[in-house]
Amino acid sequence: MTSRSLNSDSTTQGESMTRWPVTVASLRSMAGVAIPLILVAIILPGLLSAFWLRALTSSAIFALAAAGVALLYGRLGLVSLAQVALLGVGAWVALRLSHGTDLPFELVLLGGGIVTGLVGLIVGLPALRMRGLYLALITLMAAGGFQVIVGGTGFPDGGSGFLGRVTSASARLLMERPFVAQSDEAYFRYVLVVVAAGFLLVEIHRRTRPGRAWALIRKSEACALSAGVNVTLYQTWAFTLAGFLAGIAGGLLAGSVGQLDGRNFPASSSILLFALTVVGGVYSWLGPAITGLLYRAFPSLLIAWNIDGNLAFIVFGAALLHALITAPAGIAGQLGDVGRWLSSRIGRRGGTR
Amino acid sequence: MPNLSPFFVTGLAVGAIYALSGVGLVVLYRASGVLNFAYGAIGAVGALLAWQLLQYELPETLAWLAGIGLATLLSLGYGRMVAPHLAYRDTVVKAVATLGFALVLLGFSRWYWSDDPRQFAIPTDTIGVSMLGVRVTVTRMIAFSMTLLITIGVALFLTRTRLGLLMRALANNRDLSALLGIQVLQVETWAWFISGVLAGISGLMLSDLVRLDAIVLTFMVIPAMAAAVVGRLRSLWGTMIGGLLIGVLEAVATPFQVISPYRSVAPFVVAIIVILWLQRRRVITFAGGT
Amino acid sequence: MINIDNLAVEFGGVRPIHNLTVDLTDTIVGVVGPNGAGKTTLLNVFSGFVIPVSGSVKAFGQDLLAMPAHRRAQWGLRRTFQTEQVVEDLSVWDNVVVMLDTVRLSGRERREQVQAALNLAGLAGSEARFGQDLNAYERRRVEIARAIVGQPRIVLMDEPGAGLSQAESEELQAIIKAIPDHYNAMVVLIDHDVSLIAATCTSTAVLDFGSLITHGPTGEVLRDERVKAAYLGKGEVL
Repeated sequence: MTSRSLNSDSTTQGESMTRWPVTVASLRSMAGVAIPLILVAIILPGLLSAFWLRALTSSAIFALAAAGVALLYGRLGLVSLAQVALLGVGAWVALRLSHGTDLPFELVLLGGGIVTGLVGLIVGLPALRMRGLYLALITLMAAGGFQVIVGGTGFPDGGSGFLGRVTSASARLLMERPFVAQSDEAYFRYVLVVVAAGFLLVEIHRRTRPGRAWALIRKSEACALSAGVNVTLYQTWAFTLAGFLAGIAGGLLAGSVGQLDGRNFPASSSILLFALTVVGGVYSWLGPAITGLLYRAFPSLLIAWNIDGNLAFIVFGAALLHALITAPAGIAGQLGDVGRWLSSRIGRRGGTR
Repeated sequence: MPNLSPFFVTGLAVGAIYALSGVGLVVLYRASGVLNFAYGAIGAVGALLAWQLLQYELPETLAWLAGIGLATLLSLGYGRMVAPHLAYRDTVVKAVATLGFALVLLGFSRWYWSDDPRQFAIPTDTIGVSMLGVRVTVTRMIAFSMTLLITIGVALFLTRTRLGLLMRALANNRDLSALLGIQVLQVETWAWFISGVLAGISGLMLSDLVRLDAIVLTFMVIPAMAAAVVGRLRSLWGTMIGGLLIGVLEAVATPFQVISPYRSVAPFVVAIIVILWLQRRRVITFAGGT
Repeated sequence: MINIDNLAVEFGGVRPIHNLTVDLTDTIVGVVGPNGAGKTTLLNVFSGFVIPVSGSVKAFGQDLLAMPAHRRAQWGLRRTFQTEQVVEDLSVWDNVVVMLDTVRLSGRERREQVQAALNLAGLAGSEARFGQDLNAYERRRVEIARAIVGQPRIVLMDEPGAGLSQAESEELQAIIKAIPDHYNAMVVLIDHDVSLIAATCTSTAVLDFGSLITHGPTGEVLRDERVKAAYLGKGEVL
């Protein structure tokens, strides 16, 4: 499993997870991720057209949302089919705060994240204590419900009142971007930083007590209870965290496109995001990154090549079936296998441990 | 207070089809452990084929049968070719897999039949009767009575026939049934068959009563599942009541301007209330438990 | 010592346990009985997975049923399962250290306690191996290490001997007998292996159809005619 390649804590007997493992091995694996990321952030924006820059910004944003889904499914076996809807909630809150208050962008993001975490929690809580199937059902229905509601209310665009809508189309406002990230290139880098921070937050959880508790819960509720784990608390924590990440992603999306249309959040998007999260891989950070690309960059590719976007649905549906039947660790898992094979080849030529 | 009776009637008809879909879902779930998220999509493809054949001027009955037939084939195809690969995984994984199937079908439907608005009509739409001061079309009466008859039929099938008994045995304990020599795959295949037929019928009826649109029909699985939740994924009568309730709630909200745009939230509301009620008594499950 | 008074469990019209009253006072106690006698259900009541309709269970004076399930483990109630519950993607070390997550200990104390438990269970040297790489016997021992790490007060074992070879069974006996000495904890042992029960348990309770048939020193109980009838009556040979 890919979770192993990042937790190279077989260094010292007993050192593993009793405290935040700042061992040489984990620093090296973090560098292995951070350095390419920094290179991408610096070099890529200059090379891309506006269309592709937007597509990749979107991919990063949905990668963050996917990280929440992957956390729930990979760590806890919980199926959330409402993540894009929650992203919409986060975007709505961020837009309302941005247009209605003078708060800086970061606080607006945070506000969206917190509210979304709570909303996600309220939706999921009744079903969390029942069979996993009910959670999938409830989140699907919540996504359907959100589609209906936001189709009616739309997104805030500068008006007053609770819904924050303006009456004439010409008066619609775009969401303000952060002071340091006004241009598309700068905003792309900003998004990468926030997304990386989100991924780091998940990793920290995974490697410390919540991660262990979640692994036990995934094994079975009885196993977790007999280890003294408060199952409801940790499930709640995971669900809130996933909602928080979706909310932050929503705020980032609002900042990226400026205005959102209430008709663009169908339930099928949340299903698609879940399907692609499984396809991308749920056991390491790489999976959600792949998911973001599949979700946004691949359809953009189809548009660029003039191919009907609906074919993407067929491919993705088939990919999900394939992933479930033959490759449970997803693409990331298969890449991880290749990566491990490569590094074992390289390591044999005298690499230090 | 506006006159709610015509909406009540509409709601009963649509709700009856929600209930019918729910019954198809529950029968399949109980016999195979698969909660089929692709149920609506299967019905959608069947309905679209029927429409297509009607455009080619085929006789109506033939077109409808073809539509139901295709739905049944799709259901059987998945049940025989894909589902067995996941037979030993837990119910959540089996359900998630049907999401993949739903995506494939949805993508295909929208690609082959573009998004243009379409209409599906049955001759009985225009024939109506007056009952208790409300005009009720024959289609709606058919929807309601058909659901009632089919639910009774399925219930009798499960309790009175040998195959039905085998299905209930499977639902009760799959591994034990296999040990007892019950041909699990055969019995399951029948469950997929029945479920497919019901999906096809539901797809046709919803195309007539609501709209012939791939996305709309695919996501009719939501009220169907809400109905199944009311039946606790177990009881046919609970499912029927749930479906009718949801249909009626949705419909009678129509004349109220303020909540009307949001009335499709009804399945969600009903399902959440039922789940809140059900989870008062916690039961712990081991990994892989249903 | 565990005091069970008038315990009754009911679900779905079945009464897996009814009118059970017994005091388990020895350090290693066996619970035996034919299949379906209610043994695992009894353990599930102790663990908090099943809520009885009546009766009380007191352990070392503490009202067990009043504590929520996850608190009982923190109090010191530990358990192994019939189907082992070792987490595949955690290492052996993590599988065991998780039991001490809720206890305030220094890093050094935690390491020592986990190491001690692993040593007693015969897993020294396997700390870094992952759950999925272990064989069945090793997994069994991880469960045992989990059950004894830290400060257990009561260790419940549900058929730990199932499927073990003769040699492994003897090792298991040694481990079980060492628990009260090392940890000052009581062991309640369910198993079908009579030789395991006879070798380790000072006293034994026998259940059938959810109630107590007899309870006393293990040797006497195993020779009791009623116990033989309970087993033979079901076609099983003792």
